[in-house]
Amino acid sequence: MERHDKDCARPIIPISRREFLNRSSTALAGSMVIALVLPEGSSAGIAGADYDWDRHRWVYLIDTTKCIGCGSCVRACRAENSVPEGMYRTWVERYEIPAEGEAFIDSPNGGEHGFDPVATGLSVRKGFFVPKLCNHCDATPCIQVCPVGASFATRDGVVLVDPEHCIGCGYCVQACPYGSRFINPETHTADKCTLCYHRITTGKKTACVEICPVGARRLGDRKNPDDEVIEILATQRVEVLQPELLTRPQAFYLGLDMEVR
Amino acid sequence: MNPESPLIHAKHVFRAAILLLVALIAMVLGRSLFVPETWGEFGPYRGAAVAEHRDKPIRHGGNDSCGMCHDAEYADHAAGVHATVRCESCHGPVAFHVDLEEGEVVAEMPMRRSRELCELCHRRLDSRPADFPQVDPREHVLSNGGEFTADACFECHDPHSPF
Repeated sequence: MERHDKDCARPIIPISRREFLNRSSTALAGSMVIALVLPEGSSAGIAGADYDWDRHRWVYLIDTTKCIGCGSCVRACRAENSVPEGMYRTWVERYEIPAEGEAFIDSPNGGEHGFDPVATGLSVRKGFFVPKLCNHCDATPCIQVCPVGASFATRDGVVLVDPEHCIGCGYCVQACPYGSRFINPETHTADKCTLCYHRITTGKKTACVEICPVGARRLGDRKNPDDEVIEILATQRVEVLQPELLTRPQAFYLGLDMEVR
Repeated sequence: MNPESPLIHAKHVFRAAILLLVALIAMVLGRSLFVPETWGEFGPYRGAAVAEHRDKPIRHGGNDSCGMCHDAEYADHAAGVHATVRCESCHGPVAFHVDLEEGEVVAEMPMRRSRELCELCHRRLDSRPADFPQVDPREHVLSNGGEFTADACFECHDPHSPF
């Protein structure tokens, strides 16, 4: 008697045990060959004893009342991190808000080449720039959605991507509510702000903080008792972007407006 | 074998056990091939990735790296109103100019000696903080009797110390 599967019209082919074992061993051997040609991961751990990541907890502070929208940070980030043209690990947004009606918001080339005056026809009563970057959230959705464990947080609070391990599926790009991630067109893997991990772990500031001519961007360390940024977080009124999402961003803002998301 | 023997079914059990063993070996072998060596060192990710991020080259050296050779400009700049502006904000990262590992000059520092450079910060925009010095470039140059050329700013201002 020939049995038929309910959903599929194909007959179930009877197969002997010997044949089954033969076929499965062929398949297994085939997958082994594929596995052998795949590259193996590097074996180096966190480099050297010169940096203890348990003694730092990095945070970022942006003072929007100081930002002049020169775009130095965007250019510095590109140069420091070889960010491909047209992609941005950090960018600057311009807000021009009239007394009534819709606000004008733009970020031409991420603010990389500065801003030209725009004829919005608005009588601007309130205007400011908002630099943005990865918020290095404490409870970040981008790490949660990564199916292969290529997104991770270091113990000193930096959200990083392992480009060797990333498969470029782009889930994290969609998961980030701040638009901080992109697929790198050269490596085809997820790319984002590393908080200049190569700099901050050697005692330097991030390139964007280093370059800012007006001190609108600052790097802080929660585990440093004398840190000026931590003092500001403790004593002044700071905000984060989209707090309702409960991502616990570690990039804090001074002088944010309700128009900013 | 005697059909009454209790070992009559041992052969089936043995075969199943071999299959299980093969599957186990395949899994262990597969894991050792597919799972990176430093996986799980610090958490559910490839531990070596942390060091790889640390090993990226540093390109911005800060003002002090410029001052090592350009001491006159360094002092001039540090005393002026542009003291908070970093050398590399206008000039670009020092690594474009000096090989930081070898300490050798590899290329001329790109110099943007143009009005556009100044305008990045000082062209009047509605969004800039009102207390930040900014001008309408054309109006500013013409009202001061200058010609509105591509490098008009430098007729009066030294970018290292503008006033």
